[in-house]
Amino acid sequence: MSDPAIVARDITVRFRPLVDKRPTLRRSLSRMRHRVAEEIVALDDLDLTVNKGEAFGVVGRNGAGKSTLLRVMAKTLRPDEGTINVYGKTSTLLQLGVGFNRQLSGRRNVYLGGLAAGLRKKEIDEKFEGIVEYASLGDAIERPVATYSSGMFSRLAFSVGMAIEPNILLLDEVLAVGDEEFREKSLATMRELLNSAGTIVFVSHALNNVAEFCDRAAWLSDGKIRSIGPAEDVVDQYRQAVKAGRA
Amino acid sequence: MPETYTAPAMSPTSLAPKRVFRATRSYFTDLWNRREFAWYLAMGNLKARNASTVLGLLWWVINPVLLGMVYWFVFGILFDRDPDEFGGLPFLVYLLSGMFPFYFTQTCMTGGVNSIVNNTALLANLQFPRVILPLAALAEAFVGFLTSLLGYYLIVGPSYGVWPAAHTLILIPTVVIHLMFNLGLSMLVARLAVPFRDLNNLVPYITRMWLYLSPILYGPSTLKKAPEWAQRIAELNPLMPILRLYRYALAGIPTDTSEALVASLVFSVVFLGVGAAWFIKYEGKIARYV
Repeated sequence: MSDPAIVARDITVRFRPLVDKRPTLRRSLSRMRHRVAEEIVALDDLDLTVNKGEAFGVVGRNGAGKSTLLRVMAKTLRPDEGTINVYGKTSTLLQLGVGFNRQLSGRRNVYLGGLAAGLRKKEIDEKFEGIVEYASLGDAIERPVATYSSGMFSRLAFSVGMAIEPNILLLDEVLAVGDEEFREKSLATMRELLNSAGTIVFVSHALNNVAEFCDRAAWLSDGKIRSIGPAEDVVDQYRQAVKAGRA
Repeated sequence: MPETYTAPAMSPTSLAPKRVFRATRSYFTDLWNRREFAWYLAMGNLKARNASTVLGLLWWVINPVLLGMVYWFVFGILFDRDPDEFGGLPFLVYLLSGMFPFYFTQTCMTGGVNSIVNNTALLANLQFPRVILPLAALAEAFVGFLTSLLGYYLIVGPSYGVWPAAHTLILIPTVVIHLMFNLGLSMLVARLAVPFRDLNNLVPYITRMWLYLSPILYGPSTLKKAPEWAQRIAELNPLMPILRLYRYALAGIPTDTSEALVASLVFSVVFLGVGAAWFIKYEGKIARYV
């Protein structure tokens, strides 16, 4: 048994949604009267251990609790119950370009994104050249990010996200970024991370990517783990359930 | 070292005083370590706001000047003003010396309301003391305020010969007190706006009412003519002593400065204390709403 990177015990997260799916005047009025709406249990007494050196996939349909799980691991969401232990430095890429301001230059955004992720300005000064080179942006780094193509944007964002040199990477659907060349490059970086005992937790609807890239996977359904094991097996089970309409 | 993080132990209400102290201290250490982030966030927003306009950063001076001109035209030209009402000063000097400080508070309030709501991506992805967001909004508004003071002297200096003098020194403690007040206010509304997004719609009316309740467009004597209950409400206005200090600092309108300093300091400490405690205590729950 290898060393654990993330240990989640009895995690429960409940939401009391404030935003109606179909907002109407009548609902607004009733919301005012009973402010305590019915709760949604996003994660239900969930136990999970992710090991070092492992790429771990999470699959499940929308609303199964995948993103909530990632946010608990990123510690931006405190569970109502349970404990989570994370052993290592985490980089969270639930979205790309967090902290970026599109009006500003790429250079400025490297600093914004890096500082947001927890780096010091001095550290960013040192890493700056490397970040720009990895994103292969060249002189475009001085242009406002708003003028970037989506590929350029993703490249810069991913490069900044990796700049904190994480041991643990939390990814939400962001593998599908950039052109083929950059995708290869980012995959290579992630494999490097895994080889040096790093950990990747990867939430995706792209089942092929999960089966191909991950060692193990969990299938989440209604905030519970429906199945956990080798990625290919879990993806297969999930696929069959979707086909049969039982997901 | 594992970073453990357990759900219920975080609730500050259940903690002993010693642990509250320790938790508070580590929170502020954390905040201090992230000061560069707060600064870059504020300056980034500042730059971005006018990045695509022709006049760029000049808007920070032009905006308050234009605003002052509009009110000056309506309330100074269209309405007949008695100069005695403003301590013998030109209405424009009286108006702007109150308007610009008020505008600072207003910007902090608007910025505070939006600081959490507009940064959901940051909140969902990254850990940092959430106070950074209203703090960055304050820093952003403060830069605007400083440039508006420059604009103030650019207007009233050449036209009425009002320049900085010895009494202007009181600006230093006044600005410090005002910053504390605005930060407290900004945290209060930021926290309120998280579960109660409706605040976003209400803020323009709140600030407008506040402007009209403060002696900015009219002199202090006007308020004495108002009905008793309206005067009572106006007396509760926490901005009142701060405005008096600004009027003294910027326009030389005499006031009991020590009384105004004490009163404004009391208001500011209360706002800052309540705002900070309420905001920090709520922090863990913010993620539920983003």
